[in-house]
Amino acid sequence: MEFSELIRTGRAEAFLLPGPGQSPVRGTLCITSHHLLLSAGHGSPSDLWLLLRNVDAVEKRAAGNSGTITLKCKDLNVLQLEIEGLEETLDIAGSIEALSSLESVTTSYPFFYRPQSLKLGEAEDLHPPDHFYQQVALETNGWRLSTVNRDFNVCASYPPALVVPRGIGDEVLARSARFRQGGRFPVLCYYHSINGTVMLRSSQPLQGANRRRCAEDEELLKAALALGGGRGLVLDTRSAQAVKQARITGGGTEAKAAYSGWKRLHRPLERGRPLQDSFVRLVEACTDPSLSMDRWLSRLDGCRWLTHVKEALTIACLAAQGMDREGVCILVHGAEGTDVTLLVTSLTQLILDPKCRTLRGFQSLLEREWIQAGHPFQQRCAHSAYAQGRPKHEAPIFLLFLDCVWQLSRQFPLSLEFGEGMLLALFEHAYASPFGTFLCNSEKERYLCEVKTKTHSLWSSLNQSKERKRLCNPIYSPNPLALWPSVEPQSLQLWAGLFLRWTRPPEPAQEAWEQLWKIVTEREVADPL
Amino acid sequence: MEFAELIKTPRVDNVVLHRPFYPAVEGTLCLTGHHLILSSRQDNTEELWLLHSNIDSIEKRFVGSLGTIIIKCKDLRIIQLDIPGMEECLNIASSIEALSTLDSITLMYPFFYRPMFEVVEDGWHTFLPEREFELFSSVTNEWRLSYVNKDFTVCPSYPPIVTVPSCIDDEALRKVATFRHGGRFPVLSYYHKKNGMVMIRSSQPLTGTNGRRCKEDEKLINATLRAGKRGYVIDTRSLNVAQQARAKGGGFEQEAHYPQWRRIHKSIERYHILQESLIKLVEACNDQSHNMDRWLSKLEASNWLTHIKEILTTACLAAQCIDREGASVLIHGTEGTDSTLQVTSLAQIILEPRCRTIRGFEALIEREWLQAGHPFQQRCAQSAYSNSKQKWEAPVFFLFLDCVWQILRQFPCSFEFNEHFLILLFEHSYASQFGTFLGNNESERCKLKLQQKTMSLWSWVNRPSELSKFINPLFEANSLVIWPSVAPQSLQLWEGVFLRWNRSSKYLDEAYEEMTNIIEYNKELQAKVNTLRRQLAELETEDGMQESP
Repeated sequence: MEFSELIRTGRAEAFLLPGPGQSPVRGTLCITSHHLLLSAGHGSPSDLWLLLRNVDAVEKRAAGNSGTITLKCKDLNVLQLEIEGLEETLDIAGSIEALSSLESVTTSYPFFYRPQSLKLGEAEDLHPPDHFYQQVALETNGWRLSTVNRDFNVCASYPPALVVPRGIGDEVLARSARFRQGGRFPVLCYYHSINGTVMLRSSQPLQGANRRRCAEDEELLKAALALGGGRGLVLDTRSAQAVKQARITGGGTEAKAAYSGWKRLHRPLERGRPLQDSFVRLVEACTDPSLSMDRWLSRLDGCRWLTHVKEALTIACLAAQGMDREGVCILVHGAEGTDVTLLVTSLTQLILDPKCRTLRGFQSLLEREWIQAGHPFQQRCAHSAYAQGRPKHEAPIFLLFLDCVWQLSRQFPLSLEFGEGMLLALFEHAYASPFGTFLCNSEKERYLCEVKTKTHSLWSSLNQSKERKRLCNPIYSPNPLALWPSVEPQSLQLWAGLFLRWTRPPEPAQEAWEQLWKIVTEREVADPL
Repeated sequence: MEFAELIKTPRVDNVVLHRPFYPAVEGTLCLTGHHLILSSRQDNTEELWLLHSNIDSIEKRFVGSLGTIIIKCKDLRIIQLDIPGMEECLNIASSIEALSTLDSITLMYPFFYRPMFEVVEDGWHTFLPEREFELFSSVTNEWRLSYVNKDFTVCPSYPPIVTVPSCIDDEALRKVATFRHGGRFPVLSYYHKKNGMVMIRSSQPLTGTNGRRCKEDEKLINATLRAGKRGYVIDTRSLNVAQQARAKGGGFEQEAHYPQWRRIHKSIERYHILQESLIKLVEACNDQSHNMDRWLSKLEASNWLTHIKEILTTACLAAQCIDREGASVLIHGTEGTDSTLQVTSLAQIILEPRCRTIRGFEALIEREWLQAGHPFQQRCAQSAYSNSKQKWEAPVFFLFLDCVWQILRQFPCSFEFNEHFLILLFEHSYASQFGTFLGNNESERCKLKLQQKTMSLWSWVNRPSELSKFINPLFEANSLVIWPSVAPQSLQLWEGVFLRWNRSSKYLDEAYEEMTNIIEYNKELQAKVNTLRRQLAELETEDGMQESP
C-alpha cells in the first residue's frame, strides 16, 4: 500500500486557532505520510508539526465555503484548524483519519525517522535481563540466567533470557510454562539485597474447574522460596470471586495445599475496560470549561481515577512492606500477568530500591518490567481518552503507573533523579512516538519487525545531554532508604501537569522550575566540584 | 479575678503527652494563667508550651482511674494528655476549659506578654494612614484625608482617618454615614495609578422598602468618577438577598438614583455557613477511613473550595473592571466588614505588585482588615473544633488567606513572602501573644490601649532574623497585574494548613530548604563574579593608563 493513496488533498490554506499554550498560526497546511505540517513560511518557530499517530479523534464541521477540523490528540491536546474550501476540509479530515489509524508497525514513522544526531544500531543496549542477572549474581549464586525462551517458543510474551532458581532446569520451566496462562512461568523480577527476599511474577496457573496441579510449577516456586528465606506470599491482583470465575474458563490461583510455605492474599485492582472508562471520564471532566466546584469534585470522584491510583500504591506498599519489614517473598500475578502485575512489581521496586530512582535506573526498570516483560503497549495505547468507538484492548495501565510515580515524586521531592518532564515524555512516547521503544506488544514481535535494527531507541535520545534539563530533577539527592508514600486519600492529588496541561496554562509554575534549573546549572558551571 | 481561682490543680506528675509526629513523652504538666506546659523530667526542657487561647475544645475520657484529655487547638492540631488520677484529670480539664474561654480581653495573654527581643521598629507605628496616602497623593489631588471620625462617633467600626473625595466636606460625610449601615460611608480602598481608577467600599445603603434616597450619598459616589466615566457597584450578595435586606431597612443602590453606575450581584456566603463549611472540611481532612470516594465527596460537601472560587471570582471581577474596563468600582455587601474586605484586599493583590511584598502585604492587612474594622475578636473566637453554636464566628480572614495561597501557588515567583507567612497570620488571628488581632475595630483597640499595653505582631515579625523565615526564595518582582485561574480544576486544598498535623512535611521541607540553599549560594557566587568583574575592569584601566605615554 502506498501512503499517497490515502492522501486525498495534500495541501490547503489553514488557520490554527489559538488555545491555552498554543499561539495561532496562519499558513499552508501539508499532509505527509506521517505528519501534519502547518507553516506560516520561512520556518517560523510557531509552525505546527504534528505526528499523525498522535491524533486520537478527528471532528469536522462545515460552515459555508470553509470548514473546521478539531484534532484531539493522544497527549490530550486539542487543536482547532480552520480550512479554506469545503472539499479540502473533508479530504484533509479523511486523510488524517486514515493515516492516523494505520495498524501496520513496519510502515509506522519510527521506521522512517532518521535524526542526524543518532546512528542506527549504535543505541546503547540496556541489556536488562543480563544486566539484571549480573546485579543479582553479585549478591547470591542461587539464581541463573535461563535461555529456555530464546526462540520465544516457551512463552511468546517473555524475552529470550529470564532469571530463575539455579536448581531448576529448563525442562522444568517448560513444563511450568504449560501450566501458566500464555506460558508466563514464575520468574525473578527483584532481589532485595538487604535481607535476600525476592519478588517473582507470573500469570495465573491453569488450575481449571477440576483443580489441576503441576509438580514442576510447585517445584519451581518451592525452590524460589527456599532461596528467599522460606516464607512466601502470593499477591493475586484479582478478587477471590474473580478467581472463582477464572477457574471456570481454565484459570485459577495457587492452591494452599499444593504450595506449602506460600500464603495467598487477594487485592483486586481495576484493569481493562473500567480503567479506560475511568481515564476517559477524568479527561472529560478536566476539559469541561463550564463546571461549578461541586460538579467538578463530584465528577473527579465519579471517574474513580484517584481511587485506582490509591489502590495501586497501596498494593505496592503492601508488597514492599512484606519484603522489607517481614522478610516475606512475594509472587505477583493476576490473570495474564502483563498489566497490573507489572504495575505492582515496578512500583514496589521504586519504593524499595534507590537504584531505580536514578534516570538510568528508571529507564532500565521500564525496559525490564514493562517493555521486555511483555506489556502489550501496542494494544493498550492504541487510543487515548478521546477516541470514539468501542475500545478493544485499550487501557491506561502504563499511565496509571506514571501517575503513581508522580505521586511518589510529589511526596519525596528530593529522592527521584528524574522530574515531571520525564514522566510526561514517557506518556507521550507510549502513545505516539518517532522512536521504536514502545512499538509492538512483546519482544517476539519486536524481533520479527526488526525494531531494534530499523528504529531508534527513545533512551538514546533521552540520554543526550540537551534533553536532561527537561527530564531531571534539579534538587535530586540520593536517598538510600525505602520511600513509604502516604496512601491516604487526602495525600493523593490530581496530576495537574498531565491532565490539566492543555487547559490550564502552566506558565508561572513552569517559570519557577526553569528559574531553579538556571540557577543549578549556573552553579555547576561556576563550581565544577 | 485571679487566675489562681481557676487553677485547682496547678501541677500533675507522670502525665503522658501524645501529639503529631513525636513519640509519646512522659512529664510534669503545669497550668499557668495563660499556658499549658508539659516538661519531661529527664532534661528539663519544655516539651509543650500551649496558649490556653489556642484551645478550641476539649474532651475527656476515663479508663479506670486513668483519665485522658483530648485537646483540639484552633491551629487545627490535636493533642492528647493521659493523666493518672481521676480528680486531677477533672480539675485540669475544668481549668483548661475556664482559662481558654475567658471573657475579658484585658486578661488575655498579650496584656501580660513581655517580649524577650529588642524592638527595632514599633509595629504599632509602622503603617500609618498618612504614609499610605502619600503613596498616591503625589499623582492626584482628587482625594483627601478626612478626620471626621477622629473620636469614632460618625462610624464606630472605621478608623479615625479615612480617604474621601476632595470635593466632599466632612458635613456631607456625616449625612452619608446616617444613610449607610453602621455608618460605613463610602471610602477609598485602592487607587490604581495606571489609569486613575479607584476601588471604594462601604456598607449597604439604608434604602428600606420605600426607596429612601440620600443626595449627599449620590454626590459622594459620583464624585469618585471622572467626567464621562461609568462605574460598577459590586454587591457581594445575590439580588434575592439584597432585596430581602430592604425589608430590614437595608438595600442597594437603585439605578434611577445612581445613573452612572451599573450594579452586579455576586453571592459570597457569610457567617455560620462559612463556619459550618470549615468544620466539615476539617472533619473530612481528619477522616481516617482511607476511602477515596468518601474523601472526595466530603471535600465536595464541605463547600470550602466553592467559597474560595466565589471569592476569587468576585475579586477578579473587581480587578477586571478597574484594569481592563477602566471603570471605578464600589464594593459592599451588608455590613461591609467581611466579604467586602475579602474582595477589596484580593483585588489589590491581583492589581498592585506592592501588595505582594512582605511590607506591602502587612500594610494591606493593616489597612483593609484591621483598620477597616473586620471584627477579628468575634470572627476568630472559635475555630473548626468548637461545639457551641455561637453566632459570630466565621473564617472570613482564613478564607482570604486561603485565596492568597491559591494565587501564590499559581504565581510562585510573584510573591516576596512564602506559605509560612500565611500560616503564621492564620495562627495569630486565632491565638497570639501579640495585640494586633485583638478587638473588633480601631475604636475598641483604642479603648483597650493596645498600643501601650501590648506588643504588635509586626514588631516581632519584621526583625531580620524572623523575617528571613518568610522570604520566598523564588521571588522576582513582577510589576504586572496577575490574573489567577478560578476554574475549579485550578483550585486546590491548602494542604499546608489543613493536612499539616495529619502527615509529616519532612520531605517537602527538606526540598524547600535545598532549593533555598541553592538560590542563596547562587546569589553569593553572583556577588563574587561582580566583584571580580569590577577588579578586572579596574586592572584594565590601570593597564591602559600605564601604556599611554
